[in-house]
Amino acid sequence: MTITVIKPGLQSTIQSRPRVGLRHQGVPASGAADPLSLALANRLLGNTWEAPAIEATLLGPTLRFDCECSFSVTGAVAVATLNGNEIQAHESLTAITGDKLTVGAAEVGARMYIAVTGGFAAEDVLGSSSTNLQAGFGGLQGRALIAGDVLRFEPSAIESARTPEEYRLPMSSTWALRTCIASETDSLDDASLDNLFSTNWTVDRRADRMGVRLDGPRLNVASDGRMPSAGVIPGTIQCPEDGSPYVLSVDAGTVGGYPRIAQVARVDRHALGQLRPGDHLRLLRREPDEAVVELRAKLAYWREWLPDIDEIL
Amino acid sequence: MLTRSGDDLFSVTTESPQDAQALASQMRDSGDWLEVIPGIDSVVLQFDAATYDGDDVRQTIESALAAGIEPLQISQSLVEIPVIYGGEYGPDLNALCEKIGLTADDVIALHTGREYTVDMIGFTPGFAFIGDLDERLRVPRRKEPRQRVEAGSVGIADERTGLYAMASPGGWTIIGRTPSRLFDPNAEQPFVLGAGTRVRFTAISADELNG
Repeated sequence: MTITVIKPGLQSTIQSRPRVGLRHQGVPASGAADPLSLALANRLLGNTWEAPAIEATLLGPTLRFDCECSFSVTGAVAVATLNGNEIQAHESLTAITGDKLTVGAAEVGARMYIAVTGGFAAEDVLGSSSTNLQAGFGGLQGRALIAGDVLRFEPSAIESARTPEEYRLPMSSTWALRTCIASETDSLDDASLDNLFSTNWTVDRRADRMGVRLDGPRLNVASDGRMPSAGVIPGTIQCPEDGSPYVLSVDAGTVGGYPRIAQVARVDRHALGQLRPGDHLRLLRREPDEAVVELRAKLAYWREWLPDIDEIL
Repeated sequence: MLTRSGDDLFSVTTESPQDAQALASQMRDSGDWLEVIPGIDSVVLQFDAATYDGDDVRQTIESALAAGIEPLQISQSLVEIPVIYGGEYGPDLNALCEKIGLTADDVIALHTGREYTVDMIGFTPGFAFIGDLDERLRVPRRKEPRQRVEAGSVGIADERTGLYAMASPGGWTIIGRTPSRLFDPNAEQPFVLGAGTRVRFTAISADELNG
């Protein structure tokens, strides 16, 4: 069974789980930039949380169903229509042959997820079928979707489902991310360290799956701002030469040569995928063990609706 | 030095890339880690904070450090990497020659004239950091990184050669390109080079590539 891409949207890719345990070979995580929204979309269809789905960025795609099947839409707030009639996010819905699904522009948040029963067939590379755009592997031929692409999947009958209100991930244009200090935080001067945690940062136009640049006061790091390449992960905040903090996201390289001035805690890393240019962002300083307590509380909360939450966050 | 560098991260500084690789490999074999990422003079370890407590993880790392790091086995095999130097494949070679006051032949002779070791793989899949360059060839990274550097490109920066296993943005001075495929995601052994691999570059002509 298939779905045909009529219009691809701004940047739509097939995403699943991240690649884990391969950063020492230079292999980035990839995977859904907002894994919680991917899991929520799949949950509605009885799929495993990481079943490959479409991740759409800022402007969603138009798709034609070539078969009868169930699908769901989650993530950023956007108007979605089936044959021109508005449909709801966070519900399992049924389409029949010839139906056209259009997901419009994101109004709040940055990324929408479109899932089908069974998940899309995708190229499994190095333990995941997520698309790595830079390296060009995984997903559909390692690239973003284009008009005319035909996505295959094996639909199955399901019970209809809705996400309970309390598990609908809130979308916002103001964010607060719990953040710890990192290996090179002490290379910031006192005023810069203060600014890091007190500024209401603005998300720059440069916000994509590689990372998010923050606009605000320029931070000063000691020395020339370069250091021997060292390991980084999604959520690592670097301070490049221009003094603007750069928060790494799922597609970021595995090592970097800029001071690592902070680290977004695991509890809030999933939100990085929903930051869009113009959004405001505060970094909330946490001691590492405080952030772990908060992580475990969040996991406990979500486990009832998403039993695999420990793998998702 | 051991530091907690996040809620689920520790970072260890090391004396050398070899120590970083040795420690990383030892930790990977002995523990339950999400990521163990060796750098040039550091190792970053990510643990599952949902399962493990930071204090216990710290103790595990401290005990390993106290017991000492087993030196990394240097690989016996030598990988030969053919390179077309200069021209369209090495667009920065002429500028480099002017900057350091050597001819292209000098640069090629120096670059092919010694054996190297892969210090680390990282940044993009299979990107190899290879040390150490002859002191006469050392230049800093370009101020303006390129948006796209082709797969197989051979760059230099500071004391190392960098091999781009796949196309990516990059800031190294590109002196040539190898036709060897360094990363094949579908192969059983997708990465040709690993940390500790011995490497020698040999000069070939563009005709040899096409013929």
